[in-house]
Amino acid sequence: MKKRILIVAGARPNFVKIAPLMYEFGRHKRLFEVVLVHTGQHYDFEMSDVFFQNLKITKPDIHLNVGSVSHAVQTAKIMIAFEHAILEQKPDLVIVVGDVNSTLACSLVASKLNIRIAHVEAGLRSFDRTMPEEINRMVTDSLSDYLFVSEKNGLRNLKREGIDPNKIYFVGNVMIDTLSANLSIINESDILSRLRLTCNEYSVVTLHRPSNVDSAETIAEVFDILRAVSREVKMVYPIHPRTRKMIRKHKFSSKFEELGNLLLINPLSYIDFIKLVKESKFVITDSGGIQEETTSLGVPCLTMRENTERPVTIEEGTNYLVGRSKTKVLSFVKKIINGKSKNGSIPELWDGKSAKRIVKIISMIQ
Amino acid sequence: MKLISVIGARPQIIKAAAVSRAIAKHNKKHPNRTIIEIIAHTGQHYDENMSQVFFKELDIPEPNYNLGVGSGSHGQQTGKMLARIEAVLLKERPNLCVVYGDTNSTLAGALAAAKLHIPVAHVEAGLRSFKRRMPEEINRVVTDHVSELLFCPTQTSVDNLAKEGISAGVHQVGDVMYDCILFYIKKTKSIEKQILEKVGIRSKSYYLATVHRAENTDDGARLAHIFKALSEIAATDCPVVLPLHPRTVKYARNHGLEFANCVKVIQPVSYLEMVALENNARLILTDSGGVQKEAYWLSVPCVTLRDETEWVETVESGWNTLAGADKCRIIDSVRHYHTQPDENPESIYGNGNAAKQICKILQQEKIIKMAGSIQEI
Repeated sequence: MKKRILIVAGARPNFVKIAPLMYEFGRHKRLFEVVLVHTGQHYDFEMSDVFFQNLKITKPDIHLNVGSVSHAVQTAKIMIAFEHAILEQKPDLVIVVGDVNSTLACSLVASKLNIRIAHVEAGLRSFDRTMPEEINRMVTDSLSDYLFVSEKNGLRNLKREGIDPNKIYFVGNVMIDTLSANLSIINESDILSRLRLTCNEYSVVTLHRPSNVDSAETIAEVFDILRAVSREVKMVYPIHPRTRKMIRKHKFSSKFEELGNLLLINPLSYIDFIKLVKESKFVITDSGGIQEETTSLGVPCLTMRENTERPVTIEEGTNYLVGRSKTKVLSFVKKIINGKSKNGSIPELWDGKSAKRIVKIISMIQ
Repeated sequence: MKLISVIGARPQIIKAAAVSRAIAKHNKKHPNRTIIEIIAHTGQHYDENMSQVFFKELDIPEPNYNLGVGSGSHGQQTGKMLARIEAVLLKERPNLCVVYGDTNSTLAGALAAAKLHIPVAHVEAGLRSFKRRMPEEINRVVTDHVSELLFCPTQTSVDNLAKEGISAGVHQVGDVMYDCILFYIKKTKSIEKQILEKVGIRSKSYYLATVHRAENTDDGARLAHIFKALSEIAATDCPVVLPLHPRTVKYARNHGLEFANCVKVIQPVSYLEMVALENNARLILTDSGGVQKEAYWLSVPCVTLRDETEWVETVESGWNTLAGADKCRIIDSVRHYHTQPDENPESIYGNGNAAKQICKILQQEKIIKMAGSIQEI
């Protein structure tokens, strides 16, 4: 009998992670019946038709349409709607990815209904509980029956939390699967000429975390750093509407626009964005996934956070933690410009075959 | 210092009341550093027994908020609670959120607070049945993982947390239910005679039984075994008093289950009446978690109608026996207690001052520092 699998995605990075899984399941149609559930946690501009075409995933089978509200209300709405979906679909397994509210809400519902749960990207820990993602990660891992780990530090974290080793599988990073599979299309993107940029002569900024952009004080610090960096090198900042709103709210819009060497642009498609990162001199970010993508592409990355749940990008990759320290940022920028930053290597099993491993393991579940 | 206690099910209300009384005592003694307690009742259990009489009889402060969630599927109930608790937390902006036990209210309170960066204190932390199919087990594990302060009743529960990598913020304070029993046993003296007369029994001349868990009441085969065992025990050994929920009575009738005459099936009783019945019973048969411990504290032998227990210490001490829902095992276990265990129960669940200790820990400077202000969302 075919295994019935519900795959949950809610936010944009979730879809980047499930794309290779959908592809692999699709190659084994005789074994699996896969239903894609979109919780609607992100539902706006980022989730257009182009986005799905880009990643070559079919449109979701079920939409829960929860929308962006406060954490608890969003989690609540997802729980109620997803419970309906499970009772209707009666899956053998629910797959959740990453660390967003959808991940937490759907694993809670599935576990209460005694449906087995697989968590892709398990074991990551920042050890900072003020990050809502950290709560989502810890709770989801404690509820999961199959934990697919992307980097070796994850194995240590799960062991420390007393999770049964028989549930844990080190499979590598599905996001890198998506990157590798799309590399030739990425190379063909014309985003550089559209933005009139020259290869290796600009940097990319993606800052959107509340800890960086939600208060006037932190925006002022961020602005001060970006202004200093933009004196050294041209910068491109694809900006979330939410972040734009915060900058406007705290009256920094005109200041950002006056920076001649910093280009504020609308968010890009996945393909264009990766092309932009790939050809850049370095990236300044506070996102989780970009730390991994830059390591995989060998592009230096300055992460403006105090901690990371993906330490392999620092230990082995091209990532540096810089917080909001202007001194640190400027000294690394200088190093990078002088060609003296670390080379980095590709972490173990980040080889584009993680989804294959996951699907194989799932095919063996009784 | 301002804290919010989230309650919802009956046992939680009773546990929280012990902490409330300790806080009131503390405030009287230290008027310059009082603890303000706001009580939010999710409405998980809200029936006749939860009326004002209930609060008055048990000396429990009435909730400041009734969130009116009511029953529903797990997802619906927890979902609604999350949203409504968040609204209260945002309005009250407490320094700390205190949750009790292992119900959906516990989970929802803990998650809503953790997401708002309000530190969570879990009373009755670290308990594990290691049965993931029990919704309570999921609630326990998740709540412990998002809590900053974990108040454990026993050494076993402290060890369970250590195995899950949780050691910071863990305090072994004993069991708040022990505080409750010590407090309420005094109050039962005035109603003891009345309830025994009402049921028509004399002290130490009956067995008390309770069956309420879904694993027993919703499973015809298990329920049949338990009913047959109780009938046989009542007919051959000693009368059995069984307060039974009307829902279970109906379910049993629909499944053609009947009792021998010596089983006295009565309407559900109030908490105080229950404590009085427990204290006067010669032996207790139960599938409740709390009643197992109450039997232990009252030095009444207990036969547990489940396959596992969170209160392993009561079994290890010899005062409790696991009999599952197996007729022969139940009858054998009861017979075994014709002679009482030699040793008196030890104080493995603390000294009955758990609430006082919790209150004291909440006053520690590092806790007050940790319980900072809420961030904007």
